[in-house]
Amino acid sequence: MAELQKDPMTRGDFLGFGVLGAVVGAILTIPPVAFVLSPIIKTDVLGQSNVPDDWFEVGPVSEVPEGEPKNFVVEFPVNQIYSDEEIRTNPEHVQTGGEVIPNAIWVSWQTEVLPDGSVGQSRRPAFIDGGGSLTEEQIREVEQNLNVLSSSCAHLGCPVRWLVREGEGLFLCPCHGGLYDINGGYVGGPPPRGMYHYKYEVREDGNIYVKHEFDVGGDKGPQQPYVV
Amino acid sequence: MSAIGRIRSQALDAGKFVTDWMEHRTGIVTMTEHFLYEPVPKRGAWIYTLGSATLFCIALQFLTGILLLFYYVPTTDHAWNSIYYIMNDAYFGTLIRGIHYWSANFLLAMIGLHMTQVFFSGGYKAPRELNWVVGVILLLLVIVLAFTGYLLRWDQDGFWASVVGMKIGSYSPFVGGPTIHFLMGGDTIGPATLSRFFAIHVWLLPAALAPFIGLHLYLLRRHGVFGSEFEYTERLAKLHERQRLEEFQRHERDHEEDPYEDRNGRE
Repeated sequence: MAELQKDPMTRGDFLGFGVLGAVVGAILTIPPVAFVLSPIIKTDVLGQSNVPDDWFEVGPVSEVPEGEPKNFVVEFPVNQIYSDEEIRTNPEHVQTGGEVIPNAIWVSWQTEVLPDGSVGQSRRPAFIDGGGSLTEEQIREVEQNLNVLSSSCAHLGCPVRWLVREGEGLFLCPCHGGLYDINGGYVGGPPPRGMYHYKYEVREDGNIYVKHEFDVGGDKGPQQPYVV
Repeated sequence: MSAIGRIRSQALDAGKFVTDWMEHRTGIVTMTEHFLYEPVPKRGAWIYTLGSATLFCIALQFLTGILLLFYYVPTTDHAWNSIYYIMNDAYFGTLIRGIHYWSANFLLAMIGLHMTQVFFSGGYKAPRELNWVVGVILLLLVIVLAFTGYLLRWDQDGFWASVVGMKIGSYSPFVGGPTIHFLMGGDTIGPATLSRFFAIHVWLLPAALAPFIGLHLYLLRRHGVFGSEFEYTERLAKLHERQRLEEFQRHERDHEEDPYEDRNGRE
């Protein structure tokens, strides 16, 4: 084989070119690829989120009525590019409208849903009416009987709304007609599962607080609501 | 010879000189002739314009897109307002954006018709398979262009359509999550999403589209339009030639005395 080559390449040459090629190739490809794919590296490899790992106030739990969900608006701060921490904390420095994205959260009391679709007994505790502060036992009871639902439809992410017809209410997705009951459970339409529940807690001041985390994984499926 | 006649003949000479000069150096006159005087079958000649119509729509997209970029601002707090300005305050803004919008719609319709025509006429067959492949790549690029352009308006319609589109993609096994994170620029929709869609819509995909259009046209030029008359006459002539040749050979075989019959042992 060697005699076929006019200018034979030695093994040393080959190794040199190979090493040089690998180094130059890495220098040329790694920065642009990492530059463009940095969101994948940050979210899928490092597990970071654009929303801070904090508790955000939703609203007083006493405002949630019986047999009907209540819509709260939560402004999750989003740390993406120019809406970074520094700009957010110095609003007089730069004014941007993109740093928070308001997000609807539906809160309802867990309610028995009868086989014919009508609602039964609500688990709304009576002591909630007065508002004000709660004791530790009351907090535990409230937390066990609450649904804190993301408005993102579990099908393709459109915002659901509460629709009442002939006295019976359902969550309806306007995009493809997904239906959920008052607890966020699947009733009909294309969604593969019920609505996403937020990770939440109730504090002594009677307010609900949520984290930007959802019940995914296991039998709930790996999907995320994605929309803040 | 009158003065006007002299000027006329001089102008003609000058024009001829310029075209000859260009032709000699670039071959552009022959190329233009090829494009303008394409022999196509008389019957159904109009369906041979669908490819050109697609190219025309793409050219419109490039031109109006460049014009829209003079006013459009790709940030979450200004995108909607800048389009509102284009639509209400900028001169002919409604027209420019209207052309961009409707031409995008017509473009997809034209591509559909173009593909249908090529499919039903069998224009994808040998030796034009690769042109079909390049065409499908162009179709996919245009679809992604249409998808990414939708979000740039940053209104409720475009926003939720993009959410739905991205969630459809997110159901893909294994690659769904990373793909959607790549598009969103994180794990939520936000300012980075708009920036990335803008970059993809305005730079990445048009830059990718252009060379594939060039390749598509090159392959078209190389093999000619399918079903054109000369192709059929050429093929028929070749077929007749072959038939004549075969007949002649058969004739020769049947009638010629093989002088080496005995030595070769052939009958």
